[in-house]
Amino acid sequence: MRALAILIVILAILIGVLPQFFNCQYDGKGLVLADGRQVPMKCYWTARASLAVAILLLALGLLLAFSQQQETRRALAFLGAIAGILVILLPTWLIGVCQHPGASCNLVMKPALILMGILVVVASVAGLVLSSRRPEPTA
Amino acid sequence: MSPLRLVWKNIAGSAFRSWAVFLCALVVGGLLFSTVLLVRGAEDSLRLVQQRLGADVVVVPEGTGDRVETALLMGQPTKVWMPRQNLDRIGGVAGVAIASPQLYLASLANAPCCTAEMFVMAFDPQTDFTVTPWLNRHLGHNLGLAEAIGGSDVFVPYGEDKIRIYGSEIDLVGSLERTGTGLDTALFLTFDTAYAVADGSYTKAVRPLEIPPDSISAVLVQVEPNVDPRVVALQIAHDVPGVTAIPGSGLFQAFHTQAGLLSRIMAALLGTVSLLSLLLVGLTFSMAVNERRQEIGVLRALGATRRAVLHSLLVEALMLALGGGATGVLLAALVLYLFRNLIVASLMMPFRIPSVPSLLALAAGGLAVALADVALAVLLPALRASNLDPATAMRE
Repeated sequence: MRALAILIVILAILIGVLPQFFNCQYDGKGLVLADGRQVPMKCYWTARASLAVAILLLALGLLLAFSQQQETRRALAFLGAIAGILVILLPTWLIGVCQHPGASCNLVMKPALILMGILVVVASVAGLVLSSRRPEPTA
Repeated sequence: MSPLRLVWKNIAGSAFRSWAVFLCALVVGGLLFSTVLLVRGAEDSLRLVQQRLGADVVVVPEGTGDRVETALLMGQPTKVWMPRQNLDRIGGVAGVAIASPQLYLASLANAPCCTAEMFVMAFDPQTDFTVTPWLNRHLGHNLGLAEAIGGSDVFVPYGEDKIRIYGSEIDLVGSLERTGTGLDTALFLTFDTAYAVADGSYTKAVRPLEIPPDSISAVLVQVEPNVDPRVVALQIAHDVPGVTAIPGSGLFQAFHTQAGLLSRIMAALLGTVSLLSLLLVGLTFSMAVNERRQEIGVLRALGATRRAVLHSLLVEALMLALGGGATGVLLAALVLYLFRNLIVASLMMPFRIPSVPSLLALAAGGLAVALADVALAVLLPALRASNLDPATAMRE
């Protein structure tokens, strides 16, 4: 269980950090208005939202690593799975990324968030299964 | 206790050994699958582009073959020109059935007049055999003025209903199937539209689109039935000065070579990793057999046959290999699918995910190699364990 919690913590850090460096705003390609102002595009807001979910996941992972109660672990793993689904939905449906297929948000940020979201869901489901098993009676 | 339960207990009882075998199988299975998939995907992609072009011979200005091939494969816009009269000369070469001219243009990048930087191909609807058959099949008519079709990655921006090229609005009337190459980001329009955009660009765009008068970029040739395109290509190169004629089979040779080189590098890497994992798994299981001599002795004394001991160790290793191999293949498939565009952009090589039956066959191959690798590594220690004398083993 501790290994799964550590995996979730590592993924949470990656989910929080990676999108900050792979969005169009970071690449200096924000939307320039006629009056010269730069407006951040969708991927910038997806990166910000990922940071929020990452902080939640980080706390979840740390609590999972130190919790002793099976029921607490089960609840935390369930929440972890939900957070993982949110990580997948942010770049695909909830906010999205830019239209240009060659933009760094499309090449790196979106696939990375989907991959890490899937890994968080798998790790959380594994945690859920492990914490739902009855301990074997000792002889 | 059933034999399977015994195997499961052994797996759960030794975390280090189990993880070592699992991870070795994961790396071998995943690496083999991704290597073959990358090379297969690149070859599939090249084949599809050649099919889509449909040309037996491609004629370009002398010395620009590499640039045109890179433009067609990677979508890097290029501008190459040759005199239009070459078209008539090429059409007159023996064996040429159809000769169709094309213009290769580039849209402007980061300019308020334009949607995005794109490779633009203009064709002559009277003679074209590349785009027109698709248009007739899917739209039922050819492209009109200010109409275009795009590759799968060409899009109309949010809030707009047309694409802007050099300030002119173009109606995107269709999208072609994905090829995993630069054609996915290319825009196809007729000569008339290209000339209209060029005329309008002097007043509408930050920089005009200049098409030299009486010039074309390339000529695509279809040869007559039963005529060898290589012979026609040689004849064109002989009869028309200042051009390079590339037969269809000779197109994208540099990329075929690159795919071959990549496959050799990956094969060497795979061989090294397989050998290392073979040694690691063999060593781990040898240590396990040494640790479990007494346990194996007891099992033999209780009536377990040599065959049962051998089976138990082999099944334990194969279960771990199956789990690791399947995870490796799944993970590799997921990573390659999600990052396919990044692979194309960073390796500068076309890549297209093959069909589902091909994918399943590749996955089965990856899994089989991972299983064989682990089975081979475990065979010797397992045979040694099954040949242990129970009395000697229990005394140690």
